[in-house]
Amino acid sequence: MFSVDFMINILGIISFLTIILLVITLFFKIEQMKTLQASFNKVKKQLDEMDEQAKLIMRTDLELNKTQEELDKKISGLYALQKLSRSIASTLEESQIFNMVDPARLAELGFEKACAFLWDDAQKRFLPQINIGFLAEEIEAIKNLVRAEKDKFLALIKSEKTFSSLSGLDPVLREKIKATGKVRAFVISPIMPKEGESGFLCVGTEDPDFFINEGDEELITILANQLGQTIENARLFEKTWRAQQDLEKKVEERTHELSRLLDEVKAISKRKTDFISSVSHELRTPLTSIKGYAAILLAEKLGKLPPEIRERLEKINRHSDELVHLVNDLLDIARIESGRMLMKKEPQELKELVATVEDLLGVQLKQKQIRFEADIPAEAQKILADRSQLERVFINLIGNACKFTPEKGRIGVAARKTDGSVQVDITDTGCGIPEEALGAIFEEFYRVDNAINQELKGTGLGLALVKHIVEAHGGKIWVKSSTGAGSTFSFTIPSG
Amino acid sequence: MPIQIGLGISSEKDPLLAARDAVRLARANLLTQKFSLALVFSTVDFAHPTVLKTVHGLLGETPILGCSSFGILSNQRIFRSGLAVMLLSLPQDVCLNTACVRQISAKQALVSGEELGEKLLLGFKSVRRALGVIFSDGLMRDSTGLLAGIQEKLGISFPLAGACASDNLAFKKTFLYANGEVLNDAACGMLWGGKLNYGLGIRHGWKPLGKPRTVTRASGNTAYTIDMRPAAQIYQEYLGMDLARLRKELKRISILYPVGVNFAEGEYFLRNILSIEDNGALVFQGNIPAGAAIRMMIGTKESCLNATRQAMEEAKRGLGGAHCNFVLVFDSVSRHIILGRQAGRELEILREGFGRDTPLIGIYTYGEEAPLRAINYQGKAYFHNQSIAVLGIGG
Repeated sequence: MFSVDFMINILGIISFLTIILLVITLFFKIEQMKTLQASFNKVKKQLDEMDEQAKLIMRTDLELNKTQEELDKKISGLYALQKLSRSIASTLEESQIFNMVDPARLAELGFEKACAFLWDDAQKRFLPQINIGFLAEEIEAIKNLVRAEKDKFLALIKSEKTFSSLSGLDPVLREKIKATGKVRAFVISPIMPKEGESGFLCVGTEDPDFFINEGDEELITILANQLGQTIENARLFEKTWRAQQDLEKKVEERTHELSRLLDEVKAISKRKTDFISSVSHELRTPLTSIKGYAAILLAEKLGKLPPEIRERLEKINRHSDELVHLVNDLLDIARIESGRMLMKKEPQELKELVATVEDLLGVQLKQKQIRFEADIPAEAQKILADRSQLERVFINLIGNACKFTPEKGRIGVAARKTDGSVQVDITDTGCGIPEEALGAIFEEFYRVDNAINQELKGTGLGLALVKHIVEAHGGKIWVKSSTGAGSTFSFTIPSG
Repeated sequence: MPIQIGLGISSEKDPLLAARDAVRLARANLLTQKFSLALVFSTVDFAHPTVLKTVHGLLGETPILGCSSFGILSNQRIFRSGLAVMLLSLPQDVCLNTACVRQISAKQALVSGEELGEKLLLGFKSVRRALGVIFSDGLMRDSTGLLAGIQEKLGISFPLAGACASDNLAFKKTFLYANGEVLNDAACGMLWGGKLNYGLGIRHGWKPLGKPRTVTRASGNTAYTIDMRPAAQIYQEYLGMDLARLRKELKRISILYPVGVNFAEGEYFLRNILSIEDNGALVFQGNIPAGAAIRMMIGTKESCLNATRQAMEEAKRGLGGAHCNFVLVFDSVSRHIILGRQAGRELEILREGFGRDTPLIGIYTYGEEAPLRAINYQGKAYFHNQSIAVLGIGG
């Protein structure tokens, strides 16, 4: 069939073809591997690039986080400081101020330990005010340090600067504070009220990761200033309070004294009123008899009277009338003062009342040719008064005006409505009242020393009675006058 | 009858007064006077034996469980100083056991976890176990080991939620509360069983950034090398800073850019850095295994708040529409630092989600424990950092 050579040749050809095929396959595989290697390298490169990007992201993120932390720390610090300030400012008791420093708020500022001392000038030493977070033995050690280094602490206060474990402070003192208070970082700031003794606040932390910066120093400075301000306010308040207490005590003493004097005056006044009332009553009985007998004699019921006796009797009668008038006025004043005379306040027409008085005094006005003018507008018409008593007021005031106004003078009555009352002004063109007499004119038995008064008789009770009647109506009376310029008597009366 | 809750929180400055006040309020808010458990959380200023003795004295034989925290979240507000007492009255078909393990550092964390698991299981032989809640010392190095020990006894996929106690960011001492005692270097927990309805959600809101990396040498919570180079170099490269500056700013950087440990289905749990060793090794707050695929993580306040929203929604989904009787929140203290003045918004999200009147109590933690969502992990709980775990409990 097939020779061996032929078979060998065939196998050789097949082998050759196989080798070629393998070579071709290998070539393609190598190409594929190259492609895969290229892809792998590409992916690896991309992964490396992404890793580099990741590094960038992490570094940026770290920076961002640090900034955020700083910002958060500042915001939290300010927030805690605001709360602390509010809490501290809520008291005005100096002994309570340091107790208002809340450890939780202080921790929000990053400090878990705090102490404060105030200088006592009398004892020449620092007095501890607060201990937050220090163990008993630690605070004792701090007290000893402050005692031993008091000059350095006083110098620190005097410098008015804030120091920290970071900067500024004498290195020996800094290390002593750190070792004594067992703190890794601290801030110390003077407390300086404007008045009184100063001191210092020291805050610290054991946290090894806490790094003090200027922001922390600023926050503690603000806190120390707030403490100083509150101490100052408390001291000022204490001072003001004491002054007020003294003043109140003095006012109380004076009030007590015045009250006692007023009671005395009231008692005297009552005795006077009682006396006047009693005497007046006692006088009126014999006066009535005298007047009665004088009238009988003057009526010549007991026989004709010689002219000299009649003249004398008429004098007795006239003087008796004056005396009765005086006694009646005194009795009225006494009644009003003692509250026994009640004002029967009823609606009255002012214009009509004034017209009645004008009629009553018409003769005197006519005799002296005095012009009488009444100006009472409609809105001031209605008043609430005891008619007979108010008539007495007008009779007295217009009568006085008539008495002191020279011939052809003028008397005016004007009224106007004021708040809830009517003000009446009675003006004359008389001789006026000297300034020094104005204050006493409404007093009982006071008479202005002038020529008219010396000539014309009067009781000195008229204006006093007028004042009592006006006041019994709930009104006021006053006068404006000066010598030679006439007078204006004004009073108020409730409107109707 | 559903679970009854009485919550009392006091911010009285005097710790004894606060203890009395919180118990009085909790009792007043509870409709019944029979209670099976008291959860006590406080800020470190109240972490005092006298406080716990007072609470214990007032509550008699009622088991007390709780821990210290940087702050307390509640449906009222966030307390930066306060003591919270939550009294729970359970229906007959829900049962509960509490246990405590001490001196963890003297034993192995794993052993301690096993011990705690065993103690929790006591009395649960014939009862269906439902959920475990663990509180542990926030300064414990091997929280993962403790969790593994517990899982060893309770089951790998057994649902667990947990929180590491915190202090006032001093990282000096955290406190656990067990009955009348205040403990350190300890862990305590409660095991729920019976007819319990609950929903649990955990989120962090951080996103991966940069190339995936591999932890090439690690032990416990220390990663020595990443991509065969000293671990700290990854941070130096990304942030463009030398080791000294990195150390100086470590607290901030650790919170802003934690490491994300990549599990399947694109899920990551976070690890914060506690310290950097001289050889460039990174010490994490939680274990990190060799061979783990890791990424640098980045987030924002908004992503933080979104995570809260998602955790809350997931917890609500878990409840399957059932009424939520109370909410427990374990929120990382780091998240509180990041959110800063916006921390209140986070609480507002929770209050809006669960209803303003639903009793809510939460703590800020140094670590959280909860299951991952990924199906491959079958509900296994992991130790997380910088996350928020929301546990809603229904009837």
